Amino acid sequence: MRARGGIIRLQMTSLWPRLEPVLPRVEKPARYIGCEDGANANIYKPDATSWLLTYPDTYEIGLPNQGLQILYELLNERPDAFAERSYAPWTDMEAQMRAADVPLFSVDTHRPANEFDIIAFNLSAELVYTNVLNCIDLAGVPVRASERRDADPLVGAGGHCAYNPEPLADFVDFFVMGDGEEVIADITEEVQEWRQSGKPKGSREAILHALALIPGVYVPAMYDVTYDNQHLLAVTPRHNDIPANISKRTIADLADWPYPRNQLVPLTEVVHDRLNVEIFRGCTRGCRFCQAGMITRPVRERPASQVREMISAGLERTGYDEVSLTSLSTADFSGIEDVVADTIDDPGTCGRVSVSLPSLRVDAFTVGVAAQVSKARRTGLTFAPEAGSWRMRQIINKLITEEDLYEAVRAAYSQGWHRVKLYFLTGLPSEMDDDTLAIADLAENCVQIGLEYTKKASVTVSLGGFVPKPHTPFQWFGQNQPEELRRKVDLLRNRLRKNKRVHLKWHSPEASTAEGITSRGDRRVGSVIEHVWREGGTFQEWSEHFNLELWKEAMDASGLDIDWYVHRHRDEGEVLPWDHIHAGLHKDFLWQDWQDALGGYGIEDCRWTPCYDCGACTEYGIEHVVASPAPPNGGSQGTGQDLATGHLVPVQLRPRAGVGGSQ
Amino acid sequence: MRLRIRFSKLGKVRFVGHRDVARIMERALRRCGIPVTYSEGFSPRLRMSFGLALPTCYESEAEYLDVPLNPDLVQDQTVFCTGWGQGEAHNPTELQDALNKALPNGFDVVALTIEPKSKGSLQEAVLSCGWSFDIVGAQTDGVQNAIETALNSSVIEVDRKKKNEIVREDIRHGIHELRLDGESERGPLVVAELSAKPRVIRPSELVDVLAPGAELGVAKRTHQWIETDGQRIEPLTPSNSITT
Ligand code: SF4
Repeated sequence: MRARGGIIRLQMTSLWPRLEPVLPRVEKPARYIGCEDGANANIYKPDATSWLLTYPDTYEIGLPNQGLQILYELLNERPDAFAERSYAPWTDMEAQMRAADVPLFSVDTHRPANEFDIIAFNLSAELVYTNVLNCIDLAGVPVRASERRDADPLVGAGGHCAYNPEPLADFVDFFVMGDGEEVIADITEEVQEWRQSGKPKGSREAILHALALIPGVYVPAMYDVTYDNQHLLAVTPRHNDIPANISKRTIADLADWPYPRNQLVPLTEVVHDRLNVEIFRGCTRGCRFCQAGMITRPVRERPASQVREMISAGLERTGYDEVSLTSLSTADFSGIEDVVADTIDDPGTCGRVSVSLPSLRVDAFTVGVAAQVSKARRTGLTFAPEAGSWRMRQIINKLITEEDLYEAVRAAYSQGWHRVKLYFLTGLPSEMDDDTLAIADLAENCVQIGLEYTKKASVTVSLGGFVPKPHTPFQWFGQNQPEELRRKVDLLRNRLRKNKRVHLKWHSPEASTAEGITSRGDRRVGSVIEHVWREGGTFQEWSEHFNLELWKEAMDASGLDIDWYVHRHRDEGEVLPWDHIHAGLHKDFLWQDWQDALGGYGIEDCRWTPCYDCGACTEYGIEHVVASPAPPNGGSQGTGQDLATGHLVPVQLRPRAGVGGSQ
Repeated sequence: MRLRIRFSKLGKVRFVGHRDVARIMERALRRCGIPVTYSEGFSPRLRMSFGLALPTCYESEAEYLDVPLNPDLVQDQTVFCTGWGQGEAHNPTELQDALNKALPNGFDVVALTIEPKSKGSLQEAVLSCGWSFDIVGAQTDGVQNAIETALNSSVIEVDRKKKNEIVREDIRHGIHELRLDGESERGPLVVAELSAKPRVIRPSELVDVLAPGAELGVAKRTHQWIETDGQRIEPLTPSNSITT
């Protein structure tokens, strides 16, 4: 495959003739055929850098991923690059592939993964890590980066979980921190040069070195890790020119990136099977448990006019009858009501298009929004109060009042919904049984409100076990033991047993433990992931495949202690495995916020109040892009305070002078 | 009035299941702005009905779809589009073109008519289907002999799963035509007409009869037959899209 001393010309081969006979033997074969509207089956450019964008979970989960679709389009627009996609084959398909000696393939043209220059993974959840190893192995590439030969594909990874890259550091050649839109161009240019040199012997080290110099790119092999017994001492660069810290990439203005322009329309049903339009990126509500909110600061809104164009063009092109306006807190979008109304009233939609608003904050969900949303077809409504008691919500800085929640729920029932879903976390810092049980009170009160409007009123409570995440104020918190989480779930089950209108669902406490190992692990956890994978532990996100015993065994085999990694509180001085990765937030800002949390202080949303200098804007010379000068629905953080007049606020807010990095 | 559509499903898209085909058709109809109708109720569905369902992994040159139209927006052979197709008036040929542009590769509308709604569903009217399929792991001579033996038998028994038990069932009466049609790159190619009443007989059942132990290669439905005035006909034949 390697041309000696010249430009590499790969004659890419299609595996389709070998795949076709096995597809009738597997479940849902349509997920392996590609053929989506918006996909390009003729993208092969012999002299360009080839990317295989891989989602390490099933096609149904991975296909709608917007980040992956954006990069797919951007790369295919470049003359010097092209991208195809692949997804983790389900276990039945994997067995067929291994039996027939068929490697991991792209769904676009069914070419083998190891014919690509780069295999790039999207990491949206930690429990997919064993699937990452499985995909690398299925590609026929050594799973350990150190064992790869010069011409093997480069293995890359990005996405939210990349912010603690260490658990996967042994298996991934390079990580990308932050928004991918711009950095993929820099990477392509370096790799293109490497390809054109013919990838000669010894050149892998050089390309990795070159990649490590690109801002926002982390090449673990260029860093040494030192320990003092259990404790991590430092992660230090091996060469003088390698940066000691890696700062995330951030695009300044979403208006410059109206992607995806051609959202992929799959031929088989997937999750979020609808038009998805990203209306803003970032969130500064400041919820302390929320990694996504912390690492994607600042807020960058898409201009409303562009949102309208993307909705209209997208619906016409795809024929979907549902559009979802995506962001971390959709109802915060300036002028959300108008955008929803315009979509529903667009003559092209014939009044048949429904709008779904994921990530609804209750304080911004008004009767007006509810009425607009319900015009065509009522999609599911989920609100996330996250904690049952006001005390707890102050600690996590989710400053919505009970009244806010009841107003939102009332808006929903009054506009014809019969059921709302409420999302809560349990196992939060300093949570007492009263706080946990308050979840039941909230749910029951919501049912009571619903009964004023419909006899069918019900509430689904979805309960997640809290897993502390890197780059959040809770990164120092010791996660609850699974037994403790289970006890809390049982408290609620018992309390709600008699209420037939409240349905309780909970996430496996055992899976939260495995998630804890991988979320805040250091480089030593790599061998644990490898062990679990070698023992057959793939698809750990799927309850039918999850097995905590495998993880315990693997921790033992690696001589690592679950309590130390997962359930232990960290102190201020401890070196954290991700300290060399900068998500924009100063560590002392996060520590101060953690102390504020324990003290029960909330902090306001910096979109509409002065800056705390958390670092996300100040370090990068960028700022919020927000159309509306006023916070939605009467107050920052839903506390109802009028910031202009200094109106009394129901929550104690910490004086700003004490916050931030520069005291 | 309604649209009656005959379409093909060939190549990689043969792996798309029936329910997914329905969703693909819905999206295409909406993209063209065809004045479809919806069911009443809490979550209205686009009204449409298919001929006999095609098993996943099978190809077809003869799938059928009936789509009731909003009568206010049809005049003779012209349909007035709404939604994304607002302001466009189409005759059947133009509708066929528009749908083909909106459909993914592998799906093709091969015939389309605008016609009055009739009683009874197509699904119930279909009496038999034409098939063409190849067999992997079988010798052509052996299959040829097995076909002759089968046609000369008065009873052909196959295993059939009924709830939790396996029963033997005679399918001889359901085989209207059966012949060898040369070889494909996978193996012997067979052409058959199999009855759809009282139950649908599938090519995979014939493989067990003709070459036990071998596997069905690619099966393609070539016809769906109905009866009108004592005549065995196809609801639509390719290319008859303009004449009604
Ligand atoms: S730097 Fe200031 S304005 Fe920007 S996100 Fe941080 S606190 Fe908010």
